[in-house]
Amino acid sequence: MKTSAYFDDFGGVYAPETLMAPLEELEAAWLAAREDASFREELAGLLRDYAGRPTPLSSARRLSERLGCELWLKREDLLHTGAHKLNNTLGQALLARCMGKSRILAETGAGQHGVATATACALLGLECVVYMGAVDVARQAPNVARMELLGARVEVVEHGQRTLKDAINEALRAWVSDPDAHYLLGSALGPHPFPAMVAEFQQVIGREAREQILAQAGGLPDLVVACVGGGSNAIGIFRGFVADEEVELVGVEAGGEGVASGRHAARFAGGGPGVLHGCRTWLLQDEDGQVRPTHSVSAGLDYPAVGPEHAALRARGRARYELATDQQALAAFALLGESEGILPALESAHALGWVAANAAAVAGRRVLVNLSGRGDKDLDTVLRRRREGRA
Amino acid sequence: MSGAGNRLEGRLAELRAAGRRGVAPYLTAGDGGLATTVAVLAALEEAGAACVELGVPFSDPIADGPVLQAAGERALAAGTSLGAILDALAGYRAAGGELPVALMSYANPLLRRGWEAACAAAAAAGADALIVPDLPLEESGEMRAAAAAAGLCPIHFAAPTSPVERLRAAAAASRGFLYVVGRTGVTGSGTTFDAATRAFLARVAALSPIPTAVGFGIRSAADVRAAVAHADLAIVGSAMVERLHAAGPAAAPAAAAAFLAELQEGLR
Repeated sequence: MKTSAYFDDFGGVYAPETLMAPLEELEAAWLAAREDASFREELAGLLRDYAGRPTPLSSARRLSERLGCELWLKREDLLHTGAHKLNNTLGQALLARCMGKSRILAETGAGQHGVATATACALLGLECVVYMGAVDVARQAPNVARMELLGARVEVVEHGQRTLKDAINEALRAWVSDPDAHYLLGSALGPHPFPAMVAEFQQVIGREAREQILAQAGGLPDLVVACVGGGSNAIGIFRGFVADEEVELVGVEAGGEGVASGRHAARFAGGGPGVLHGCRTWLLQDEDGQVRPTHSVSAGLDYPAVGPEHAALRARGRARYELATDQQALAAFALLGESEGILPALESAHALGWVAANAAAVAGRRVLVNLSGRGDKDLDTVLRRRREGRA
Repeated sequence: MSGAGNRLEGRLAELRAAGRRGVAPYLTAGDGGLATTVAVLAALEEAGAACVELGVPFSDPIADGPVLQAAGERALAAGTSLGAILDALAGYRAAGGELPVALMSYANPLLRRGWEAACAAAAAAGADALIVPDLPLEESGEMRAAAAAAGLCPIHFAAPTSPVERLRAAAAASRGFLYVVGRTGVTGSGTTFDAATRAFLARVAALSPIPTAVGFGIRSAADVRAAVAHADLAIVGSAMVERLHAAGPAAAPAAAAAFLAELQEGLR
């Protein structure tokens, strides 16, 4: 590898030997592309004219009044396909084309990355196979249909916990068997160069948000809050503010039914350092190093490891990681709809849920929340839980 | 337990001196219970296995196909832990078992103890080598130092996708044998020993200063014959694990010996 695989003590390249040459090829292509003006222009053009960048920064006036803070929303929910994922998939799909690869493999949890991958592949004429756990196929059915309508093949993963973790296992196995394909990993995790590369494709969120909040609010935010599954939307917005020492960075993990219940995906609250899916990071595991099952109402946060750059930001004390429970996320989902006319993805609702649950602590402060996706895909889940009296 | 004292290196030197090749079965430790695993080790020793690769089950085996995934899930569901596996191996050694054992584990169960402690415990239990499929050379410095201190042979992989400089580095960093991945893929599905595969195996054998073992997708005596044309050992994993599971715990030792005898036909 030409560049460091590590963020301090976290990251690395814990990959089977068969994937080492493809990972080195990917790193070389990425390093070349970021120096290549025509690649950068083509990507910027697609992000602007196809995806709809820049996304707006909205002042949440009514909700600000209710919570007693100055709340701003970075509207990644308005990006084409309804989430921030497209920033990364357009970048990687262009890169795959530069490498002469015509077949794309991807994993998906909530289905947003799968849809964004299928979209980029349709746009660029690439073959697309998406691995998705059976549990997630059931709870995110609209996104399965969207992927198929976009010409992707969805492979249902029936082993393990049948969620995002198992979809990544199967996508990695597929890549081991088919190293001529490009594996389009959807979050800022996995073996180097994925965490650094995905973060770089997502940092457009933070760059825009910083300019916008300076222009619209007249100053920097006091806090930047984002949900953290693997952590690509969070690292994307954090990178815009990491040099502004006075801005607090808060990542919100899935607290599920509470850390004490054992049914959660709060890696920092309930885990420890370990290696999964190619990198060393914070991981939910048992005393024997086996990866523990996770739970979250949101498929996109239901994952036992966190992106390694987040582990490093936390170790440095630059960012802190809190959690929101299923109930807090569901309450925030309803709250944003009623007060601002926006239905957020259940993932993004965790970030808002933490703000709402900590209204006293953020009172009078300027809070920027990354609204990483829209909630249409979650209507079934929310309505079912309401019928059951659990939301 | 270093140098000539290592059972695996000793066995491979004996084979080479005699101009012979060998079959190395892979077992998922704890599939069918650890008592079965120990009984199968004894049966394989009796039946003339060259050595054994003993797999520690892991929740997320990204290099394994469906057969070894399922075996790992069964073993974990039965409560198999690294500690219990090492206790069982120590029991096999205490009863006089001398089959060289290469312990295979994904990185995390070992990292949980730390490389030094994990290698020391594995060596104390009677393991002779360590194979970590998600630990490429770049990340293996601490493991190699800990393995050397404990007298374990670190074993790295050569894959069809590896450029020649990586093949050389993997061979130079390994002791005992270099693990040659016979096909671009996960464990289990059949390997076709076509001209390209044979040329790859020959290239690796020619550049490796130590013995080589071919694994991934070797299922029959014919496969063994093709593999040992360019290697010292043929590793048989999924096909062996399938047979043992089908036989059930009580019949597994006899089934292991019978299947090994069948595979050894490929050595003639």
